[in-house]
Amino acid sequence: MKAKEIIGRGEEVHGRLYVKVEKQEVRELIKTLKENKFQHFVMLSCIDWIDDGEFELVYHLWSYEYREHVMISTRIKREGEEMESLHDLFPQIETYEREIKEMYGVNFIGNERLTPFFLEGWPHMPPMRKDFDSKKFIKDVFESIPPVEDEDEGI
Amino acid sequence: MVTVVSGLINVLIIAIYATVAMMIGILFMGIGRKIVARVHNRVGPPIYQGFIDIAKLILKKTNITHGWIYDLALLFSITGIVLTILFLPIGGVKLLSTEGDAFLVLYLLAIPALGFALGAGASGNPNSAIGVMRALVMMLSYELPFVISMVALMIYYDTTSIAEIVASQYGKWAILIPPFAISAAVADMALQGMLMEAPFDIPIAPHEIASGPMAEFGGKHLGSLMIYKAGTIVAYTTLFVDLFLGGGVVMKGGIVADVVNFIVWFILIFLVFTLSLLINTSFPRFRIEQAFKFYWKYEAVLAIIALVWVYWMVIS
Amino acid sequence: MKYEEWSKISRIASKKSLWILHFCTGCGAIEMPPVMTSRFDMERFGMAPMATPRQADVLLITGYLTVKTLKRVIQVYEQMQDPKYVVAFGSCPINGGMYWDSYNTINQLDKYLPVDLYLAGCMPRPEGIINAMMELMEMIEKGEARGWEKYRKNYEKYKKNQEMAFKFGKVEE
Repeated sequence: MKAKEIIGRGEEVHGRLYVKVEKQEVRELIKTLKENKFQHFVMLSCIDWIDDGEFELVYHLWSYEYREHVMISTRIKREGEEMESLHDLFPQIETYEREIKEMYGVNFIGNERLTPFFLEGWPHMPPMRKDFDSKKFIKDVFESIPPVEDEDEGI
Repeated sequence: MVTVVSGLINVLIIAIYATVAMMIGILFMGIGRKIVARVHNRVGPPIYQGFIDIAKLILKKTNITHGWIYDLALLFSITGIVLTILFLPIGGVKLLSTEGDAFLVLYLLAIPALGFALGAGASGNPNSAIGVMRALVMMLSYELPFVISMVALMIYYDTTSIAEIVASQYGKWAILIPPFAISAAVADMALQGMLMEAPFDIPIAPHEIASGPMAEFGGKHLGSLMIYKAGTIVAYTTLFVDLFLGGGVVMKGGIVADVVNFIVWFILIFLVFTLSLLINTSFPRFRIEQAFKFYWKYEAVLAIIALVWVYWMVIS
Repeated sequence: MKYEEWSKISRIASKKSLWILHFCTGCGAIEMPPVMTSRFDMERFGMAPMATPRQADVLLITGYLTVKTLKRVIQVYEQMQDPKYVVAFGSCPINGGMYWDSYNTINQLDKYLPVDLYLAGCMPRPEGIINAMMELMEMIEKGEARGWEKYRKNYEKYKKNQEMAFKFGKVEE
């Protein structure tokens, strides 16, 4: 794989290059790949490994020249650890970071636009975390709202 | 006493006349929807659908208003269109008349459009503002070729009265004279713009600007707007028939002739309206600058060619 | 003319000319084009799609609603002019459908807006939509579709429910 030649590490999984790195190395790797024709930042995703007490952040990159997909994975602690914002490399990362901040509560240092995104006026813990009890939440919030009964049955 | 009674009778006749014209317009809206549906290979609504729609809108329980300009502008539009219809000969019969009423009709035709624009502007919706701007640009565009075509007729028949133009065409319609065939084609495309049918439905474009000027209209206001729209259908098609198809006059003298002329007029405006609908169903929408270019670049040139031809015919 | 007769005329006119505003939130929107075009042709019953809420009579909510969308639906509903009807389309506005345990799907629409007619199915077929509309027409003629009156009458209760949903249950008493 061309990507492996460029960065010299990682393993091939299902035709993609999967690279596990420390969070300090991510910036350097993405920068190198960007300079070597991996010009499409596909997405940034987050996985909640609740048993390990860690979040996994996966940066997906694609090259139109080599037609290759690279996934750069890094793990941070669930509590008390923050990630560096990379929106100066690809501007669209800003939006992905905003979403992850909202859904998982991961803080990205340097991103000034981490405002509420999809959820308006959300007062609870981030909903995509695995310790968020969705069924209890539904029961407490939506099912506790009473139906509107009309006293006058004629209407 | 006699003058008062005859005056009242006149008012009554005018009221009946205007009402009948509006009814025909509303009927045409229903027939139009049916024709469009048949072209789309659908069944379509019943032809009296226009009456049901207007009844429903008038009977709505709440009617949100946006100030007195918004309320009165619709009256302004309907008045303008009724006045236009009264000045146009229908089947050779006309109720109001002055010298040079061809020019008067041109001015009167601008009043309803302006009233419509005023009401839409008062509603304060940004889509309405865009729609009104487009409608005014459209008016500016189609009037040039239309007026040039009318001037050609005026030169040929040496009159500025629509009644006389209609009377001169008895036995030989203007459209059968070669230069006026061109003029009629030009005027028909202008008619397409006046009726806001595709490809010139730019001002109301429901998929782009949420029906434009009508975006804030609902209830009674939208009902009045539909009545106004019905009036425009009758007024504009009648104008076209009067100018190029002899106004539907095929017989002279007597009450029988009037009835026959009225029927012929009805068939002719129906044909003109159907043609406009068929063009409507066959074409997508222009952009506003394309419409402007179409009218001022191609239509206007054709109209001028017809005008020069007519002038040459007259002087030789 | 008596009020009763007059309102009957108004109901018949209303029934024969339903103008629909599609609030296309979910997958149900895809079932509407076949209903409008030549295969099923809803225009033969006098129904027509409308561009703005001011002109429309029926608010057709096609699919699930999140809290964020609910705010917009309520705005649209309140812009419509009486008499107005709400048709909840598909399973999602009935009880949440397949999204019933999602953190952001309001499960029952009729806690927040008066729903005149439910149309179950995931998704309902175009025949189902036409059938539902015929049903709504019958209800209008009999004077049963009176959700708009219910909304006016119980406005305070509906507002309270809506506030509770917007604040995700954290409303101060």
